[in-house]
Amino acid sequence: MSRFRMGVGLRVVAVLVVLGIAVFPLYWMFVTALSSNADLFAEEARLLPDLSRLGVFADALAEGEVVGWLRNSLVVAAGTTALSIGLGLPLSYALSRYSFRGKVVMTVVLLLTQMLPEALMVVPLFALFNRFDLLDSLVGLILANSAFVLPIVALILKGSIDALPRELEEAGMIDGARPLTRLVRINVPLIAPSIAAAAVIAFFHAWNEYVFAVTFIYAPHRQPASVGIASFIGEVGTPVQTVMAVAFLFTLPAVAFYLFAQKYVVAGMTAGAVKG
Amino acid sequence: MTVLEKTRAPQSPAGRGRRSALGSSWTPYLFLAPAALFIALFQAVPLAQEVYLSFTRTSLLNPSRSTWVGLDNYARIFADDGFHRTLLITLIYVVACVVGSVGAGLLVALLLNRGFRGRGVVRALVTVPWAAPGIAVALIATWMLNPQYGIVNRFLDAIGLGVPGGAILDSPTYALPAILVTTVWQLFPLTSVVLLSALQAVPKDLTEAAIMDGAGRWWTFRAVTWQVIKPTVGLLALLMTIWSIRRFELIWLMTKGGPVGATETLVIDLYAQAFDSKQLGTAAAIGMVGVVISLIVIAGSRFVARGAAKEELR
Repeated sequence: MSRFRMGVGLRVVAVLVVLGIAVFPLYWMFVTALSSNADLFAEEARLLPDLSRLGVFADALAEGEVVGWLRNSLVVAAGTTALSIGLGLPLSYALSRYSFRGKVVMTVVLLLTQMLPEALMVVPLFALFNRFDLLDSLVGLILANSAFVLPIVALILKGSIDALPRELEEAGMIDGARPLTRLVRINVPLIAPSIAAAAVIAFFHAWNEYVFAVTFIYAPHRQPASVGIASFIGEVGTPVQTVMAVAFLFTLPAVAFYLFAQKYVVAGMTAGAVKG
Repeated sequence: MTVLEKTRAPQSPAGRGRRSALGSSWTPYLFLAPAALFIALFQAVPLAQEVYLSFTRTSLLNPSRSTWVGLDNYARIFADDGFHRTLLITLIYVVACVVGSVGAGLLVALLLNRGFRGRGVVRALVTVPWAAPGIAVALIATWMLNPQYGIVNRFLDAIGLGVPGGAILDSPTYALPAILVTTVWQLFPLTSVVLLSALQAVPKDLTEAAIMDGAGRWWTFRAVTWQVIKPTVGLLALLMTIWSIRRFELIWLMTKGGPVGATETLVIDLYAQAFDSKQLGTAAAIGMVGVVISLIVIAGSRFVARGAAKEELR
């Protein structure tokens, strides 16, 4: 009995340690944002947030371009989501419901894109965008991000359509519904949770993206938040608290959405990307 | 514009008056054409251009003028001691990332596999690092590792393990481990949730029967649990390998490959060659080495998986 209790006790401690490791850095970002200068540079670190200083978040938003950065990130992320779902949904439907020549090749290509480094593709994409006047434009960023996230979106959606019983569609066929109608009217409502999960992944892939943004965008007012925040690293003019407050505001939506959609995202990743 | 037209295209077979419920044999192609064109334009064509560039001498300052040099770029990088070091650092980084993230993920998954009150909340919170943007992670990691005021140094000093001067990211010895820990911190949520769902497939009555028969925990794990989750572990290891070979942002933002090249992986080297040294040809050749390594890893894993499947049939 006592050995049993000790086992349970150990497990509780282990779970708490894992939890602490997982959330501490973001907690620390929050605490740092709310610290006074005296706290930051004191001998003893202040471990609890000073909630009387919550105003720093409002101040951070008033800082220079911050609202503009977040707006640009929002535009890029929303555009990437729409484009990659719009292209990925019909693709995944074809891969899941039809057999045709080239199907295996297409699936292998989707998997192989997972090994192409963004840092390698940035040069030829730069040249391509230069030719089509897409440099220094949020549209260019949407195109580049969509190309990288589309395979993941398609694999997740394929996994979820695979899991649907074919009978549903056969019923639709008997009623004479055409392929596109069946995709939109029968499949889409049933895989809505997976579409939501794929959308979350696509959205935050673009929200978080840095390499393309820092290379393709010059005009300060068109920078997305990832580039703006990165410009704080190694720069000494802006107080640490402000930097952390901006970074926290940038991180919060991503974490909140993942927590909210966690169940579906995990199911999608397991079904699509891993079983692939 | 073309993209929009293509997405409307699937309607056309029915528009021609034939109402076949299956659609014509063209139907699947109409569905995948927009995505296939998109991937061709933004992945395949750029990749082909990089392959070409890797056989040329091309400057970033005048990219339209390139000279064909055959295998020169490859010969040069493979003769360069600095590149050998880059390959070694990449190898260390990738192996440590894979072992660290899959190992930590497995431990956490086993820990969370038992039912307990609040498990859902714990499971959700554990995924936080995975959701955090790389740029924010780099920023907070850099601050936590700050030589004077960073919490990590305060903690290490308190337990008597402090690094002299505390400059972890400026130390050729400690910079790579620090980046590794940060990377594993970001990856373990993904591996643990995926392994957790693989563990759900382990038949409970089998593990219980084994324990009842007096088998130890470790034996039960090896004989039952491991056999079920092995394919998932293999796939995760593969995924972590090819992702780690291409990882750029975190390393670039934390150390830019320094100090004195101590954290310079292949991708960092390639980016520095292209944008600091302006040598697009050399950069492309370095990138191709990375792509070929990834291809070999993928082919090798297929080979191992097939061998394992045959073993099972015996």
